[in-house]
Amino acid sequence: MRRRLRLDVNTLTWVALGAFALGYGVPRLVHWWQHREPWVDPVVHLMRNALNVTLRLAAFSVVGAAVVGILLGTLLTIRFLPTRSLIRLYIEVWRGLPIVVTIFLIYFALPSATGIRLSAFTAGTIGLILWGSAQVAEATRGAVQSIPREQHEAASALGFGWVGRHAFVVLPQAFRRLLPPMVSLLANVIQNTTIVALIGVGEVLETGNRSVERLTFTTADPHAFEIFTGVMAVFFVISFPLTRLAAFLERRLV
Amino acid sequence: MSTVLASFSWQIIWDSRDELAAGLKRTLEVSAIGIAGAFGIGLVLGAARAHRVPVVSQLATVYVEVIRNTPILVQIFLLFFGLPTLNAHLRFEPFTTAWLAVMIWGGAFNTENFRAGFEAVPFRYREAGLALGFNRIGTFFRVTLPIGGRIALPSSINTYISVLKNTALMTAIGFPELTTTARSISAVTFRDVEMLSVIAVVYLSLVWALSFSIRVLERRLALPEEAR
Repeated sequence: MRRRLRLDVNTLTWVALGAFALGYGVPRLVHWWQHREPWVDPVVHLMRNALNVTLRLAAFSVVGAAVVGILLGTLLTIRFLPTRSLIRLYIEVWRGLPIVVTIFLIYFALPSATGIRLSAFTAGTIGLILWGSAQVAEATRGAVQSIPREQHEAASALGFGWVGRHAFVVLPQAFRRLLPPMVSLLANVIQNTTIVALIGVGEVLETGNRSVERLTFTTADPHAFEIFTGVMAVFFVISFPLTRLAAFLERRLV
Repeated sequence: MSTVLASFSWQIIWDSRDELAAGLKRTLEVSAIGIAGAFGIGLVLGAARAHRVPVVSQLATVYVEVIRNTPILVQIFLLFFGLPTLNAHLRFEPFTTAWLAVMIWGGAFNTENFRAGFEAVPFRYREAGLALGFNRIGTFFRVTLPIGGRIALPSSINTYISVLKNTALMTAIGFPELTTTARSISAVTFRDVEMLSVIAVVYLSLVWALSFSIRVLERRLALPEEAR
């Protein structure tokens, strides 16, 4: 009896929170938008282009991280010490470093060390791929090792070599296990693209920041609170469905 | 590559050791405050969510989802640049912003860690605690916390490692922690390779030491088989 009552209080709280959002928050937002001040439209326009940059950055990074990570993670299951320790080192280094430091290394230290000068966009993408592929490699290792040995043996008996065995038999099965971490990686990569703002790529955060600076100079009010809340909202709207999807897949597939 | 090695200057690293040490000290200070706060937030809100305390648990869910689904760098910008334009009293020092940001961020992740840990404690243990005459709070501190806290420990240390790594983002607000210090030294000396290599080694040592501690703690605090 008591548990049911408490459950009802919890449901009621959600109802109250929802009613507050719909009855107070949404009308205020709509009113704000309908009577928006002249500074809003240019910022929204710039943001739309910047979102394009963010999504391109995320797309390149996720695809790169998936390709490199799945390859390294599969190679990590081979019992050959030199390759295994090299890949381990790769994973531990790029997972251990703060992504800012990785990106700074590529953007600032690499040119003076080797003469290779990359654009900020490329440097950022490579930094995110290094970090992302380390995550994917670790997840892939676990997923590949979760496939029973009989599958390997059966594939070998059918005449598959190492490559064919993994490409056609083991990895397609491991992919089910890999899907939830890949979806949450996508959400994390999209969030981490903001770090590239620190080397000046005009993605969503950097564009918001530049808008704040421009408004500080042109008008008295920088509107920083509205703009950064807006940036936060953009990321939330993209990321929330993805993390929900990852949690759903986790429950369904594993 | 040989020219790099030839021009690599150990001297510049040695000469800037005091500045780098001061930066490391600030990184560790901010991390320590952030981790302590994240522990407190995670403990209270994690318990509230696991026990479905009305109102608190729903607000905690909103807090966790908002923080986990937005980039921490945007949260830092909002705290440091956004809040002062809303209200002049909400203007924070870079140091305050730094620990506040990582604390809020770590607290959200830790709430999930502790919630999962407390929910993993079998209900019959809590019933046993109540049957022994402990009230609900006593049962939490004597039964749920010792068992659930240990289950949550490895994942919460992972969150603390991320808190430490996230302090590097304070370079965005110019707080002179390790990364900012290294960048400002190399802005004067043009020694990017040396400075960034040094801080990379420092960060890796700290992170690897903490990850190693997870493995040790996991073994030492592993629950006996029958308590799982």
